[in-house]
Amino acid sequence: MARTKLQISRRNFLKSSLLSAAALSISSCSAQPLATVLNQNGLRLPWFRTGEIKTTYNYCDMCPWRCGIVVKSVDGQIYKVDGNPADPKSRGMLCARGQAGPSFVYDPDRLRAPMIRTGARGEGKFKEVTWAEALDYTAEKLKITGQAFGPEAVAVFGHTSGDFWFTDYFAQAWGTPNAAKPSSSLCTSPREEAAKLTYGLPIGGHEPVDWDAINCIVLIGSHIGEDARNTVMQDFANAWARGAKVIVVDPRFSNVAAKADYWLPIKPGTDTALLLAWLNVLINEERYDKAYVADWTTGLEALAAHVAPFTPEWAAEITDLPAESIRATARLMADNLPQAAIIPGRHVTWYGNDTQRMRAIYMINALLGAYGREGGIYFSKSPYIEAYPHPPFAVTGSSGGCSAEPGQESAELPLGPTGKARADGARTNFLRGATAMQELIPPMISDEPYPIKALIVYGVNLLNSIPNPQRTIEALKKLDFVLAVDVLPQEHVAWADVVFPEATALERYDELWVVAHKTPYIAMREPAIEPLYDTKPAWWMVRELGLRLGMEPYFRWETAEEYLDARLLSIGSSLDKMRQTDGVIVQQGKPYFEDFAGESPFPTASGKIELYSDELASAGFEPMPTYEPVAEPPAGYFRLLYGRHPVHTFAKTQNTPLLNELYPENELWLNEDEAGRQGITNGQYVWLENQDGARSGPIKVKATQRIRSDAVYMVHGFGQNAPELSRANGQGASDTKLQTTYALDPISGGAGMRVNFVRIVKEV
Amino acid sequence: MTTYAFLLDLGRCIGCQACVAACKTGNELPPGVQYIHISEQTRGVFPALQSSIKNHRCYHCADAACVAVCPTGALYKEDGLTRLDASQCSGCAYCVDACPFNVPQLVNGRSNKCDGCAEVVKAGGQPWCVKTCPSNALMYGERETIIAEAHRRAEALRVRYPNVQVYGETQLGGLGVVMVLPDQPEQLDLPANPQIPAVLNTWQNVVQPASVGLLGFSLAFTGLAAIIARRNHKQEVAHLHVQNSAEETAAVQPDHANET
Repeated sequence: MARTKLQISRRNFLKSSLLSAAALSISSCSAQPLATVLNQNGLRLPWFRTGEIKTTYNYCDMCPWRCGIVVKSVDGQIYKVDGNPADPKSRGMLCARGQAGPSFVYDPDRLRAPMIRTGARGEGKFKEVTWAEALDYTAEKLKITGQAFGPEAVAVFGHTSGDFWFTDYFAQAWGTPNAAKPSSSLCTSPREEAAKLTYGLPIGGHEPVDWDAINCIVLIGSHIGEDARNTVMQDFANAWARGAKVIVVDPRFSNVAAKADYWLPIKPGTDTALLLAWLNVLINEERYDKAYVADWTTGLEALAAHVAPFTPEWAAEITDLPAESIRATARLMADNLPQAAIIPGRHVTWYGNDTQRMRAIYMINALLGAYGREGGIYFSKSPYIEAYPHPPFAVTGSSGGCSAEPGQESAELPLGPTGKARADGARTNFLRGATAMQELIPPMISDEPYPIKALIVYGVNLLNSIPNPQRTIEALKKLDFVLAVDVLPQEHVAWADVVFPEATALERYDELWVVAHKTPYIAMREPAIEPLYDTKPAWWMVRELGLRLGMEPYFRWETAEEYLDARLLSIGSSLDKMRQTDGVIVQQGKPYFEDFAGESPFPTASGKIELYSDELASAGFEPMPTYEPVAEPPAGYFRLLYGRHPVHTFAKTQNTPLLNELYPENELWLNEDEAGRQGITNGQYVWLENQDGARSGPIKVKATQRIRSDAVYMVHGFGQNAPELSRANGQGASDTKLQTTYALDPISGGAGMRVNFVRIVKEV
Repeated sequence: MTTYAFLLDLGRCIGCQACVAACKTGNELPPGVQYIHISEQTRGVFPALQSSIKNHRCYHCADAACVAVCPTGALYKEDGLTRLDASQCSGCAYCVDACPFNVPQLVNGRSNKCDGCAEVVKAGGQPWCVKTCPSNALMYGERETIIAEAHRRAEALRVRYPNVQVYGETQLGGLGVVMVLPDQPEQLDLPANPQIPAVLNTWQNVVQPASVGLLGFSLAFTGLAAIIARRNHKQEVAHLHVQNSAEETAAVQPDHANET
């Protein structure tokens, strides 16, 4: 379905004028005069004057931040998406990716019908089938796998905002603990596990930074503006314009570094040394919030002794930063306490020692007295609402997204119906219970600790997100059954046995978006148009599968509206009532200490912030962070760093027509002087080869002063090898394909990906 | 008469391109056409660097060269902004050549540029770029208010940026996009003192008022055309090329599907 665009050629103009004249002459007797789309000069009217505008409420699916949006359509065509002014995240504004929601819907490369594989796996040959055939076939395969190996032998990977239905609802009802989201071990699990170890509280999907009153903002690797989370850009800009001080630690002069009062171009991999030196300065100079630390922390004496040797001079040697800058930035934080904090950040799986680094960050925030204070880090609260009433799930366990609630995690991992715990090595290969998606790949190959024989992939760009994709392909070859549920023919879809084409977020109802926040809130999603082609929403797919698999008690509802209204009734609301409040229900939060009436808000064993961790000590880990050097790039190699571009999300949007137009291929940021030494010019295309001989490219060099000479940087998500994606296929280089190795964080299970090195190959 | 203007605060702008995407979707711009272009301006040597965002767009000059040179009246001033009625455009591309900021483009043989979201604003809305801007770097309103806000913001930034200044208050009779610049205009790829080519001043001040006389009109037009035509030739070839590729991409679109 093509979008109508303002296209005026000379010939067209003449024709339109004639038609317009004709239309005017007959408009008195015609029910549908052309004048509704053409103005008196023969030009097409702007879309918002071509008919009645239908407005629907939704939350954006173009990135995981999920801003509330209003969707404008006319005559069954979506034209415009705007931020929902009532939504606490978007506040009426929206980023470029959100604006491209309609372009994602109308991407002509979309999957259009259910398909069953006809060629060899990976060959990408399929036949289109009916939904009944695809569902029957899939149900049969799952049934066979469950009977032979137990329901735990089915793994479910999910990402994007419909993943609840497969990764949470279906997986738990079916009975597999092997459900995973990349937002955990490929992104935030060190952040969450460190927070639970230190504060007893998770950070949660919406980082609880009290931007309205913060006076000193410290960013470590966070590149706000390039990482275009709408609310964070708004909050940062307002705080910055208010005069809040900004310290940016990044090997690259990011757009936000350009706005900083201090840019610390740190040697990659040495962040913990910097953090230890900051702790040293705050404690040695007694520049911490003494009353807060006395009231709300344990272990200060041990920490003071621990960090005594870690002076700024010590850190300067390691980090390649001047000792004076280290001291000055620590003092700047102290000058502003408690309205000062290191922002927890989002993607923090870097070097495999990430939980300890995050602990060091939280210790600084504790010394600054920031947590629970206005202008620091607020206590986020989940909104009150009941789940849909259903029988107990066959297995109850978090699939490990980035918003797990405190107290959900028990010492014991949940077991599946045949007694098996999750196969990713949680509690054995790594300490905590967060799901490690990448660790579920080896069991598919080795059958250890037990076989995983079937895989459902919902919305995860499997080969462009999990490091060591070469190993993932090996697993895909060995699996008995692979179901891909997606909007687009992503690279891994070619490896599926069955493909379910999904309706996009703007074409479907979906689970409520229930957000822990300063003001807890609930947002709704309703379709703006009927699904294009023969696509279906995920809730419909899992229900149809469930009915075929003897899981009727979990699917007593027949429509999404029925399900949603049942949930909303638990808070006295309904879809209709939600529409009257602009699609959002906002509740009262408890952001500060004063809201806890003297009770401790920290559900740790001590009821306080644990600077010294008994749990880590008793498990044989360092109870307080230490600096562990990471491997250096071999001669001739650079450390491979990666990040975001403001118009793209992960490996999801590279093919979206509008966003592809704005940034069609990624670039290799290479230090300009280093480029000169290697005889490489700005704009030249090169290939990259990593330490294991894996190659990707060609990629265009951006020779710039804005990066250190020991690392190169690229935007993640490009270099996809997916011939059905007509725009994204083969554009740029893939960081994932150059990540043949990763460092497993022994505490969180996170996959540290910045341990790969590349050399530049000028010709292949 | 009330005039309106945009505020563009390049202190706040963080280069996220939300404005670009909102403009393209709201105005249904075809592939390859953008009214706003974002790029970075980096100065210095590692690690002593400065960088800011360039947010290039129609600046809606009061003394608009494009309006002065437009022979058909397709480009005109209204409420302080430079509007475009594409139906009146003959595709001569004089505006393309005359603009001191290189803004108008020819799209399918017609001039194409930001018109300040005239239809949206007349319907009571905010221009698409302003409405969506997450960093609140954009505002739209009465020009007096916008200028006051620009000075307020500039003063608040002076601690950080000693060279901060308001740009567009006076240039070319006053721009319809008043900018807060964190540095000197030259550092941000903007002319400190943009000028309309002298020949256009003659055209606007002398010839156009007198152009009721057909002879004067044709003589002046010929003279102007001769001056511009030489410079235009190369660009027109390039435009033709752009047009052809635009027509190819338009093949799936209803307007064109009917043509063959």
